[in-house]
Amino acid sequence: MSRVMVLLRVLLTNAFRGVRQARATSLLAVLTIAVVLVLIGSASLLVENMSGILDDFGSELQLTAFVTEGVSGEELSDLAVRVSAGPGVERVAVVTKEQALKRFERIAGGAELLVGLDENPLPASLEIDLRTEARTAEAMGALREALDGLPGIEELAHGEEWIEGYTRAVGLIRSGAWGLGIVLGLAALLIVANTIRLAFYARRDELDILALVGASRTFVRVPFLLEGTLQGLLGGALALFLIRGAYELLLPQFRFGLELVVGSAELRFFTNGESLSLVGAGAGLGLLGAMTALAGWRSDS
Amino acid sequence: MYHVSKSYMAGQFALHDLSLEVRRGEFVFLTGSSGAGKTTLLELIFAAEQPSEGQILVLGRNVARLGAGAVPALRRRVGVVFQDFKLLDDRTVEENVRLALDVIGTPRREARTRVFQMLKSVGLQHRRFHHPRSLSGGEQQRVALARALVNEPEILLADEPTGNLDPDLTIEIMDLIMAAATRGTTVIVATHDHSLIDRYGKRMLRLEAGRIVEDHPALGEGFGVGS
Repeated sequence: MSRVMVLLRVLLTNAFRGVRQARATSLLAVLTIAVVLVLIGSASLLVENMSGILDDFGSELQLTAFVTEGVSGEELSDLAVRVSAGPGVERVAVVTKEQALKRFERIAGGAELLVGLDENPLPASLEIDLRTEARTAEAMGALREALDGLPGIEELAHGEEWIEGYTRAVGLIRSGAWGLGIVLGLAALLIVANTIRLAFYARRDELDILALVGASRTFVRVPFLLEGTLQGLLGGALALFLIRGAYELLLPQFRFGLELVVGSAELRFFTNGESLSLVGAGAGLGLLGAMTALAGWRSDS
Repeated sequence: MYHVSKSYMAGQFALHDLSLEVRRGEFVFLTGSSGAGKTTLLELIFAAEQPSEGQILVLGRNVARLGAGAVPALRRRVGVVFQDFKLLDDRTVEENVRLALDVIGTPRREARTRVFQMLKSVGLQHRRFHHPRSLSGGEQQRVALARALVNEPEILLADEPTGNLDPDLTIEIMDLIMAAATRGTTVIVATHDHSLIDRYGKRMLRLEAGRIVEDHPALGEGFGVGS
């Protein structure tokens, strides 16, 4: 066996011995990293899903122009042609009063609601699809201005305010998640660093003896770095397990409420790459914590 | 050592303008009352401390100018034994001795053989799987000595190695140290036990307040050696 392999085995043995000896502090470090990553991971999952839903909404974004009562079929067709020339318009579909009534009747209970009415109260409308680049609050504003006051159009219905609010909310949540992630990450880093520093002091005698018999700085430090990385890996894996568990267990309970908010948009869990990144972030956190703990220690003391 | 001084606080010297030469293979007793500077002198030799002034040449290296990265390499050539043994209680006797071989990446099989031979030479091969706490003080010091010698160091430093032992065990440990010296290892033993110095008749340096006040040469070969 080569000298490097022998050293590697000794270093790994020392790292595992360290975890074994300081079970309580190791467990604390693992749990701390797991809690932090659960919070960060959940927040990023939420933000990702909200962004995805926003994209879905964008693709289905439509303006509806309700037409003034009494406009004839010919006038309605002319109006559709004029609206088609508006900025950002991809396609315009005409919905006559009759078609509107049929749609309404299809909705559960719609037919009963109309019993007793002599005439169709629903207006004709133009459903306006937007080009992809025009699916923004600004572009919608420009189109609204162009259509406002057009003869034959009584009212424009659009989701501009809703989209604006939603975009702002996603932005806020994303910024919040970043901020929270940074604060929690730093807190976890300090806790992990202190945990490893405690383990370091608890094994001060061993380190002094190792230094006495000629152990290099690397030989002394590497087991602690491995220990930190191992704790981080375990913390990351535990966090992933908890988030997955919560996703699987809680999602069915809240599906109805979620559908009211997001409609038919599909919710998704982390991809394999994202899952690995979460576990990797744990390992990185553990390693960084260990490096922070060991900063300043000298092997020649 | 050339005009070496060591002070921990301004104006207060643990060692003061000390010059000294120890030849390869020589055996030296270092004596003096508590606080005379014996431990500081040993610490300077194995680079646990840096001198405030002066130069220290150990095995051809100037310890006063040794970078932190070069210290481990020096220590692998210098074995050290302390009064309090400095053994790890959670490791077996074999593992404690093997530490000195692990840090240089000695293959496991070779390390085991060397540890076994070393423990045999100090009469503890049958206790190799025991933990230090289950051993007597004399046995623990023999384990510490085995750890210091398993690497075949060129220098052996012993700081009051028999300070915690009764007279019989003291002679036992000293004979083992003497045996290392006969194999060519340079040995420096710090002790305040004058009976040992008289018994073995080796060169004796007496320190007082950080200065060498007496340098007594060794008596004739074979004087008082062994039990």
